[in-house]
Amino acid sequence: MVKKILANGEPCKKCQDVERRLKEANHWAKLDAIVIANENDPKSEGMELAQSYDIGVAPFFIVENEGEIKIYTLFFKFVNEVLKDRSSNSEANKELIENNSDLDFI
Amino acid sequence: MKPRKTTGRRSPQQVLRDAISHHPAGRIAISFSGAEDVVLIDMAAQQGLSVDVFTLDTGRLHTETYKFLEEVRKHYDINIEVLMPDPKEVRELVTKKGLYSFYQDGHSECCAVRKIGPLKSKLESLDAWITGQRKDQSVTRINLAQTQEDQSFSTDDHTIVKYNPLSDWSLTEVWGYIRENNVPYNKLHDKGFVSIGCEPCTRAITPDQHERAGRWWWEEQTQKECGLHAQNVVKIVG
Ligand code: SF4
Repeated sequence: MVKKILANGEPCKKCQDVERRLKEANHWAKLDAIVIANENDPKSEGMELAQSYDIGVAPFFIVENEGEIKIYTLFFKFVNEVLKDRSSNSEANKELIENNSDLDFI
Repeated sequence: MKPRKTTGRRSPQQVLRDAISHHPAGRIAISFSGAEDVVLIDMAAQQGLSVDVFTLDTGRLHTETYKFLEEVRKHYDINIEVLMPDPKEVRELVTKKGLYSFYQDGHSECCAVRKIGPLKSKLESLDAWITGQRKDQSVTRINLAQTQEDQSFSTDDHTIVKYNPLSDWSLTEVWGYIRENNVPYNKLHDKGFVSIGCEPCTRAITPDQHERAGRWWWEEQTQKECGLHAQNVVKIVG
């Protein structure tokens, strides 16, 4: 998981919320690594990863499976598909519509 | 099934024909919103194409839209599958937040329950869907392709293809087709409604307004706060 530290030194609120949710659902320990993207430090590991994968949102998740790398910027999609936890289906649907303005007109 | 590679722009009729012939019956369907996307149903009928049609009944549609759905069903002698939201999710939402929570909290929560939930369930049983989406509906649709892999609903083990036969057409062209072919249309259009959705979230607009102005007009385009803001490092989204 790549999480962000804002330019003012504060942790990003969304990253904190995601962290809390992962801990409450006992998923936190399933993450192999937590990496920081520090807005003040373009050389921080998270910022470099964001740049190399051309990701502009935080948090995001890098999943490696048999050599194939997939990036998840949608938290609940990650929870559903990777952690196989479908308990938050309605939140996943909300996240989907908030991140796909294409779905506005359906 | 992956989208078939095609070269050049095709007419809406051709996109529709290719889409329907590319997927087995029952694995592709037209998503009909009860508005001007009726032209898709007409184009299929005119070409003698048989394809399933579904619509999302959010429970909040205008009476005119329900009447129109019925008119289309009879006019084309087709079945229209009416998808409805999970009653438990609706009950939870309206019990907790009331019937008009979207005016305070934005439309995404209610749309997630009333539209995305049933649509997602339906798409699990399909390989492809056909929409009436057009590039000119919104700035967010300027890159809308005639055929695309649906990134929103595809999963690791189930690819869903989305066909947008009308993507290159303007609203004027759609209405030209409706008039020329005497296609039935939703009577709300005669009252100044251009883009039609749920009753509480849709309003008539004036001729100088973009159709987007008729939907969720109370919402501001807000800046998302989760972008990684270091300039020249990564592209900012939202
Ligand atoms: S358009 Fe309005 S009423 Fe319809 S599902 Fe969305 S928020 Fe709810």
